[in-house]
Amino acid sequence: MSYLLVVGVTIAIYAVLTVALNMVVGYVGQPNLAQSAFLGLGAYFAAVLSTRYHLGFWWTIPVAFGVAGIAGFALGAISLRLREDFLAITTIGLNFVMVAVFQYLPFFGGAVGIYSIPVPSIGEHHFGNLDYLILAAAMLALVVGVSKYLERSWLGASLFAIRDDESAAASVGIPVASYKVVAFTLSAAFAGMVGSLYAPFLSAVTPTSFGFTESVVILSMLIFGGLGTVRGALLGALVLGALPEAFRFISNFRLLTYGVILLLMLRFQPQGLAGEASAVSRLVGRLASPLRKSRDHGPA
Amino acid sequence: MFLSSLIDGIATGSLYALIALGPSLIYGLLRVLDIANAAGLTLGAYVGLKVWRATGSLALGIVAGIAASAVFGLGLQRLLYRPILNRGPLIPLIASIGTFIAMEEAFRLVFGPYPFAFPAKLGLPTLRFGHTVITGVHLVILIVGLLVLGLTWFALRRTRLGLYWRATSQDMATAEAMGINTRGVVAAIFVIGYALAAVSGILLGINYNTVYPTMGDIPAYKMLAIIVLGGLGNPLGTIAAAMLIGLVETFVVMYAGYVLPRDAIAFIVLIVILLARPQGLLGRSRKAA
Amino acid sequence: MALLEVERLTVRFGGLVALDAIDLAVEKGQFVSVIGPNGAGKTTLFNAIAGAIRPSEGLVRFDGREVQGSPSARMSHLGVRRSFQVARPFASMTVRENIRVAAAGKALLQSLRCLGLRSRDRGIAERVDELLETFGLARLAERKAGELNMGELRRLEIARALSSRPSLLLLDEPAAGIGADGIGPLAQLIRGVHRSGLTVMLVEHYVGFALSLSDRVVVLDEGRKIAEGGPEEVRRDERVIAAYLGKEGSRSTGTNPLGGGA
Repeated sequence: MSYLLVVGVTIAIYAVLTVALNMVVGYVGQPNLAQSAFLGLGAYFAAVLSTRYHLGFWWTIPVAFGVAGIAGFALGAISLRLREDFLAITTIGLNFVMVAVFQYLPFFGGAVGIYSIPVPSIGEHHFGNLDYLILAAAMLALVVGVSKYLERSWLGASLFAIRDDESAAASVGIPVASYKVVAFTLSAAFAGMVGSLYAPFLSAVTPTSFGFTESVVILSMLIFGGLGTVRGALLGALVLGALPEAFRFISNFRLLTYGVILLLMLRFQPQGLAGEASAVSRLVGRLASPLRKSRDHGPA
Repeated sequence: MFLSSLIDGIATGSLYALIALGPSLIYGLLRVLDIANAAGLTLGAYVGLKVWRATGSLALGIVAGIAASAVFGLGLQRLLYRPILNRGPLIPLIASIGTFIAMEEAFRLVFGPYPFAFPAKLGLPTLRFGHTVITGVHLVILIVGLLVLGLTWFALRRTRLGLYWRATSQDMATAEAMGINTRGVVAAIFVIGYALAAVSGILLGINYNTVYPTMGDIPAYKMLAIIVLGGLGNPLGTIAAAMLIGLVETFVVMYAGYVLPRDAIAFIVLIVILLARPQGLLGRSRKAA
Repeated sequence: MALLEVERLTVRFGGLVALDAIDLAVEKGQFVSVIGPNGAGKTTLFNAIAGAIRPSEGLVRFDGREVQGSPSARMSHLGVRRSFQVARPFASMTVRENIRVAAAGKALLQSLRCLGLRSRDRGIAERVDELLETFGLARLAERKAGELNMGELRRLEIARALSSRPSLLLLDEPAAGIGADGIGPLAQLIRGVHRSGLTVMLVEHYVGFALSLSDRVVVLDEGRKIAEGGPEEVRRDERVIAAYLGKEGSRSTGTNPLGGGA
């Protein structure tokens, strides 16, 4: 039971990261291979503040959200100057720079990282795995809700327009630069927010747990599930997150499995399992369309 | 001290140039950032080491390493890159990263997680001039590096393949229309690119006397920084950027100590330079027509 | 007062002078065409006015305000909207969404309003329905713009440009890529848009098409303005005929290359 809870928390954390990443990669079509750097920033700030400065757990959540958001804002601002390949490489580089910062700044505890992060509590009750799961699910609900709302807002439609054609978007009055920065900021902030949960959940943070490989894993989940939709992001995190747990032999070569799945996906099903133009969503669309038609024509 | 560091920096730079040249040539042709090239590097090192151990001949090891890496590169190009090239620059990049990460895990499964020593003797003595010391390995790296780079320059400028490479990298469709066998050019460049990776892998292995599954990590990402700095797809710029990074790293470590890990320096230099010159150090800005 | 005034507008790419000290003025309600052979600088002129490129020298005055060098999003909010020579739809979005997002106008600049739900804005929804109807796109409203054919894309682009009720519409070769039988209806649509009171500037390669619609015609050749006047005047202008003959005489069959009607 407890083991299942741990798996559940892990998957929920990955789901938050994937849904958040979708705001940049899926909605605006900007490459971002640095999602774990933002997770790391959130986790590290939460760890440092709760161990060294005895800040209460609940306060570390907004701090992690804010700090990662500021970093995302900076990346967004940088992204404005760079085209696709260059931006992709810059985000790859960001992972290495971030890991270096964690390793070398004394503030972040150096190469050994930070240990014995206090367990969060509500009153006298200390967090157990079930509490972690509930909180992770709440964070997931929040980021899914924000994504869904975004999709239906003017801002969201503008982000899609930017993804499809930046010059055309600018020509109809969409402030391309500021909207891109907003997407980067939001995406990073949510990744940082879940970091504040990740740190006490692991009870320790080390620099290398937030490296490039983790960023690739998160992006793989998104591509596997399908870019551009919340359901794709959720499905990707669920399937790829549960796979190593469901098949124990896989956990021994998790990255090989992810790599191969990613390659097969890119090669044969680039829309992902449930992305915008994927086989699944076309199927759903076809099944739903007779319903929609009958509803449209019904009252007439 | 200064001179030692200078030579150290140039040797490091030559090694980086060897590593980055293949991906740079490949980027020039296909506009793919070939991170998986670093898997060719690790593969070359493992195969070279194993064959050297089995036969006692380093030359045989190098040939076998080159062959294995070249076959891998060619297969990758045929089976993975070719079908997904038309999907923008990001999909092939991500596919390449996926290949690289999967290959690293495969190396771990096949060869085990522990590092192997690679104590091959390269047959060159350590030179001393007063305080300046050049180790035999560094000497070999310098010689091989300068030789390969010179050959590449010659090949690009003076040979038919070089001409074809330049024509194809300008515009593949036009090159094809002019009767150039672009498929052949792409295949040849992948063979060369992965052969260079294998040679760098073996040199790296001997230099640090260690071969391990993730030895391609640092070269993979550093080569990215280098080919971007060199102005994507510009081989001579790549060589210049490799030298620059090699020297900057060596001197930063020498004068400022380990303020930051050596391997983050390349990316910090990269990010700073990209912000000042978004088209890369030697890249030409794309003009509106 | 002229709605749009361009003074000594110059655009250089490296050493190449694409536009050389162009002067022109467009009165409110006018229909002005810019014609000229390939490479004359027509699209560059549009790009410089619409903010897609920054002019090297010169002034652009819109509604009395100096706006040269303003980015295209700002030009759009000031009331200058454009279509593109090669259609640029938001391919993954539906036809309706293409027009709707373009109709939001200044709401996109206000942090609270851009967070509003699209479906809540009744006024915009009505405007979008009206445009879908006018441009014959109602039937296609829920289709992805990426699936449309060339003629449909042209209509979508114009509808999208009109969605925010601009005061100046720039049309960049709307007839390009449309078959001969599509040109008549397109001309009708554009004429209708102009008659509704909008000021229109049109860049066109098909001279007859442009002359049949315009009040006034500006002729560019190699980045310079070589003639300006009413359609009949321009049709007879020796310099214009020479410019066209020089460039495309071999392809033209009649003695007067400007003779073809729409």
